[in-house]
Amino acid sequence: MRRLSVLLAALLVSLAGTPALAHFDEADRYTHGACPASATNRVDPVNVVFTSWGTWGRAESQVESHAGWTAASGSAQSFAEHGGCGPMHTQSASGHGSRFHVRVRGQHPDAALGWTAFAAAHHEDLVLLPLPCGHAVDANGSAGSGFDQGRDELERRFTSAGHSSYRVWWGNTQSFKQCDGDYAGSDGWTVFIELHRVGH
Amino acid sequence: MLALGLVLVASTSAGVGQLGSVAGYPLFNAGDRVDGVPLATVLRREDSAEFVSFVYGDCVARDDVGCAPPAEIQVWPACHRNLGLYDHATDRGAPVVERLFLRGVPALLFDDGTRLELETGRSTVVVFAGTRGRALRIAAALRAIDGSVLPSRPLPEPLRMEGGDPVEC
Repeated sequence: MRRLSVLLAALLVSLAGTPALAHFDEADRYTHGACPASATNRVDPVNVVFTSWGTWGRAESQVESHAGWTAASGSAQSFAEHGGCGPMHTQSASGHGSRFHVRVRGQHPDAALGWTAFAAAHHEDLVLLPLPCGHAVDANGSAGSGFDQGRDELERRFTSAGHSSYRVWWGNTQSFKQCDGDYAGSDGWTVFIELHRVGH
Repeated sequence: MLALGLVLVASTSAGVGQLGSVAGYPLFNAGDRVDGVPLATVLRREDSAEFVSFVYGDCVARDDVGCAPPAEIQVWPACHRNLGLYDHATDRGAPVVERLFLRGVPALLFDDGTRLELETGRSTVVVFAGTRGRALRIAAALRAIDGSVLPSRPLPEPLRMEGGDPVEC
């Protein structure tokens, strides 16, 4: 009887611990201009996921150290996950004019991926002519859209610093109009970047 | 001009009509207007993604904040994008996918029905819309821009090789 009680207690502890190791939620693959999230207030595609030790704080510090993106200016956006919607946790940019820029929101740990944070990266121009409108994500060129360029730059910087990465097809290729009148969209591939323990 | 990737390629019916022979795979759109929204522009990507996009309606973008047009139809060559890409998608945390047949061809609905993908002939048509209802109305209005398929009529079956893979590019 006592043995059964111990087993039941262990099961209860196990079940109680489940939420802390819930899954990584990739159901919504865009950022949003506000909450609640909807298809009509999408702003950017999510195109980077930090894993293993991918807390949003680690993601921020690693982006600063490996990519040198230390500026923090930019508008706030929101991310949807686990049935809710919340503001980004941080953002980092390579400057204040034409620049690389990424917004990040952390999630709780995943049993397989570890700590995760999802991110929306891009390259944007500061548009002043013919009419000043501010930052606009680059429309496509031979290097892809500004969204693809931001993702590629982060992947390049992190892999050069010894981080492993792989790409997953997400298909979030919707086009977004920018303030200069051009359109930009992801090519649909999201990069997963493994972050190391504190100390790297 | 096409080599530049995502560029404006046409904004008139006459221009749209010429696209079919340029793209190299059959193109579909929903005409000059669908669900009360006019065709605003036509784009083409030819880099790490390959598609022709028909953008319907307009939206207001601001500094640092882009916006989603009311509707968009992207047509990809099926050899680059097809429903088979989702065969091995993980169930854990991935979007709920609804499988259905529309106008006689297989289709998938994602994102609460706001993204629809269907395969027809050598093409994959991807519809983005603000609501599930609008996405389905756009699917019903799809037509071949060369006039070979009319709205609400059956779409050509997907072309597959013997092993089931899409035909090569």
